[in-house]
Amino acid sequence: MSPTTFRGQALARDADLVQLATRSERFDHLVALAGNPNTGKSTVFNALTGLRQHTGNWPGKTVTRAEGYFVAGGTRFKLVDLPGTYSLQAASDDEQVARDMLLFGRPDVTVLVLDATRLERNLNLALQVLAITPRVVVCLNLMDEARRRGIGVDPLALSRELGVPVIPASARSGEGIEALREAVRAMAAGETPTTPYRVARFDADTESTIATVETAVLDAYPDLPNSRWVALRLLNADERVEAAVQNGELAALVAERPPAARPTPVASAAIHDASPVAVQSGNDVLAVASAVRWRLAADFQDRITEGIYRAAEAIATASRLGGVQRLRFDFDRTLDRWLTSPLTGFPIMVLLLGIVFWLTIAGANVPSAMLGTLLVDHGHAWLSSLFTAAGAPDWLRGFVVDGVYLATAWVIAVMLPPMAIFFPLFTLLEDFGYLPRVAFNLDALFRRVGAHGKQALTMCMGFGCNAAGVVATRVIDSPRERLVAIITNNFSLCNGRWPTQILLATVFVGALAPPALAGLVSASAVVSVTLIGVAAMFFASWLLTRTVLRGEATSFSLELPPYRPPRLWQTLYTSLIDRTLIVLWRAIAFAAPAGAVIWLVGNVSVGGATLADLLVRWLEPAGLLLGLNGVILLAYVIAIPANEIVIPTVLMLTVLTGGVPEAGAGAGVLFELDAADVGVLLREHGWTTLTAVCTMLFSLLHNPCSTTIYTIYRETGSARWTALATLMPLGMGAVVCFLVAQVWRLVTGA
Amino acid sequence: MVDPARALLVFAALVVATAVLVWPRRGVFALVQRTRRATERVRVEDAVKYLFHAGDDGAAVRPEALAGALSVRETVARTLLTRLVERGLARTDGVGFRLTEGGRRDALRLVRTHRLVEQWLADRTGVEPAEWHAVAEDAEHDLTAEQVEALAAQLGQPRFDPHGDPIPTATGELPVDDRVLLGRLAPGEAGTIAHLEDEPAESYIALRRAGLTLGRALVVHARDARGVQLELDGNRVTLPHLLEAGVSVLRAPHTSTERPATLADIAPGESARVIGIDRACRGAQRRRLLDLGVVPGTRIAAVLRSAGGDPIAYDIRGALIGLRAQQAAWVRIDAASIAPHEADRVA
Repeated sequence: MSPTTFRGQALARDADLVQLATRSERFDHLVALAGNPNTGKSTVFNALTGLRQHTGNWPGKTVTRAEGYFVAGGTRFKLVDLPGTYSLQAASDDEQVARDMLLFGRPDVTVLVLDATRLERNLNLALQVLAITPRVVVCLNLMDEARRRGIGVDPLALSRELGVPVIPASARSGEGIEALREAVRAMAAGETPTTPYRVARFDADTESTIATVETAVLDAYPDLPNSRWVALRLLNADERVEAAVQNGELAALVAERPPAARPTPVASAAIHDASPVAVQSGNDVLAVASAVRWRLAADFQDRITEGIYRAAEAIATASRLGGVQRLRFDFDRTLDRWLTSPLTGFPIMVLLLGIVFWLTIAGANVPSAMLGTLLVDHGHAWLSSLFTAAGAPDWLRGFVVDGVYLATAWVIAVMLPPMAIFFPLFTLLEDFGYLPRVAFNLDALFRRVGAHGKQALTMCMGFGCNAAGVVATRVIDSPRERLVAIITNNFSLCNGRWPTQILLATVFVGALAPPALAGLVSASAVVSVTLIGVAAMFFASWLLTRTVLRGEATSFSLELPPYRPPRLWQTLYTSLIDRTLIVLWRAIAFAAPAGAVIWLVGNVSVGGATLADLLVRWLEPAGLLLGLNGVILLAYVIAIPANEIVIPTVLMLTVLTGGVPEAGAGAGVLFELDAADVGVLLREHGWTTLTAVCTMLFSLLHNPCSTTIYTIYRETGSARWTALATLMPLGMGAVVCFLVAQVWRLVTGA
Repeated sequence: MVDPARALLVFAALVVATAVLVWPRRGVFALVQRTRRATERVRVEDAVKYLFHAGDDGAAVRPEALAGALSVRETVARTLLTRLVERGLARTDGVGFRLTEGGRRDALRLVRTHRLVEQWLADRTGVEPAEWHAVAEDAEHDLTAEQVEALAAQLGQPRFDPHGDPIPTATGELPVDDRVLLGRLAPGEAGTIAHLEDEPAESYIALRRAGLTLGRALVVHARDARGVQLELDGNRVTLPHLLEAGVSVLRAPHTSTERPATLADIAPGESARVIGIDRACRGAQRRRLLDLGVVPGTRIAAVLRSAGGDPIAYDIRGALIGLRAQQAAWVRIDAASIAPHEADRVA
């Protein structure tokens, strides 16, 4: 076929793909990338496409979609990363997306990534893929690990068994990637003949059942290459395949002819009569399938899976090099025994996580101060003078420099260093394979409140950033447990709230103790608040699974991947870039408008009083009821985009509405002071220990920041759950603060 | 500033008021919802269904029976039945009432909806088995015909609901199998449980608590005044006759029914061969286990116990998978195949 025909076909298929795709550039061939989870598929994807990729979501689903491009032999390939799935039974969104893409997206080549160390399990998916499309190139990945563990797989033997090319690879080190590119190019150009493995032999009963339906399918569509697979799906009453048979989509896939005209409705007698009927249309095929399905054994699906695994076992055995092998020392098992034993497992866990937190807090101090000096002190002054020199009106300078720029700079200075340390460290632990062991150890505890052990991990991520914690819940594939993890993630005290907690604890709680113990007391206060957050998380999980989330589906499994030496510098680098980009984006997108609002509130006057005065006065009664005051409540409302700017906002509003305008840098301008001065200023304006305690509690238990709310909406796709996730912590916070304040006042007679 | 004592009292009052309003089933909102549901249409549909189920053996149904079943006064039941006759859904011989052909069709449609909803609850949600019937009772009145067909398509046109009841097709056919009431089994005969009656709810809960689930094998040992003595999974169970009436079985050859060994019985360091997955494990959970390779013939080894005691990590087809004890108990193994497993052996 000439190149123009290729491109023409590609463009036509691209139009089809508009349904499945979000964006497209010019390309010659479409390649799909499939495989089990945990096979290094994303490493293969990255290795093939480099940085020419982008991620989004499959339309209508909350499943990530990654696309990329690569060039081989002068032709341009578009690579679509399908979600990692164990099977194509189309039971979950992931599987549906993968199956739809393979069947209706008609990729020119499908690259199937198999894990050389777990061939049998991977072959379950492989055999199903081969049943749909013959143009498959197998990438036998993780060969380095197989060698390390003494597992030998012969790619040639496997290729013989499966009937398609098999390329051994270790994507981490780049081994085999070039060969893979070449194999894909050859397959797309039609240079590689394939005889895909199609025969998964089931028992006699099952075989005759399938044969009846397959005959009907072939009668209607004589040229259908995957008739057996279609028959199996019809026997499963697969909705999508049935629709495709009925409306002629399947026919159009076979040959490039338009869908058949509307067929006549089927007579009810056909339901009982499965004897050979002249099958003219898709509806007849469905009738035959219906009739046969009537007589199916209840465990039909089990038998199909059993048959596939039997075939997988045979293929795996035929492809193995050598017989039974003995390893002298199994590093993995020994390490596991240390990490999961009750005696050593928990202490090691506490130690490791403690180290991560300590490194984050200690390591972020200096960079934060430096960034603060650079962006806030110098940057602000410089920008200010720039505007003045350009003769810009005062209000413009105030709005842009004092409002928008200052808030953004503040967020970056406070957020960036801790996140840039915390997340790379966490990712290192994850790459190494340690984190699933943590989930494994803690699962018993989480099960009692109806949650998943992996929630421990998303909770830890939440200590860095709640939005990141919510995204991390993708590792929990059970719907109910995932929702619980998302909704309760806010109770992890995120990086942005630590400064608030530490400051208030030092100024108000530590001050109550003798100077020698002050540091210890304030530290324990912060730790206590953190632990209250953890307790709140457990309580909220328990409550949700008993009430709102009661009927959601649940399924548990936890895979413990083998330990892999983390690629230190690569991880640090990509994680650093990732985190930096996210903070910058967030700062601009959410903090900038917040800065604008803050400045406006301080500088816009209505009837002689600034907006700030009016709002503070209006919120004061509610604030007092909760043990807070109007300033704190207003600060939380306008600082909803970012927790980092709450204290500076509080200071600014205190000074503004408290009638001490010479303190601070001006109306509507955020500022900070050192601890002692903060104490003096706040106490002058009516803050007591109670106010500080309630503020600390409210900081823990209020609604998530706007980035998190937005992320929750994107991850759940549901306004209802987003509303619950936003309002539940807020409600809990209000109730807790109220009770603490009233009881405190009652007891102390204040 | 507000007096703290007063504030707390107001708060307490608010909490009590909220509880009264939203308490499940007995709260004000729940009661209001229940009354609003008991509309004319719903009552008529419930009556039609009752006539269908009760009139199975051809006997006519009396108003008192309907009154008892729907928990309404007898006069209300009588009015209801008269309305059915007016609409051509039922006919009467003066004393009792029977469904007409049209009424039967309506009833089948309702039954189909009810059982499809139950199957969806069992397969796609985590709702407790004891609640399936009640939830389906409510939902069956709210679904349109298109929604019912879409539901059936989504579930893959199931033939039986999670209680084992046959689901009528869109055209009113009922799948049949060779099930018989447990009462028909003589001592010494064996069978597999094919159906558990879901009404009244207390009986269903009692049956499940006794260990009866669909697919389980049982052997009848003796029958006396107290009830029937069964052997179920190696346990001796006595069912009162009242409960026995709610169980139907498929006759099966007498195989050993000692308690089947499950994956929960092997400890780290041992391995065993899988026979199958208990049918009580359904939906997403079952599919996941199958996809991971837990199929008859697979050899699974227990490798690691978690620091918290549960879950245990199993070597399944080369991958290390953590399963909770509850899930391990669903995987049946061949007790004779339990053997020590050498962790560093690559087979």
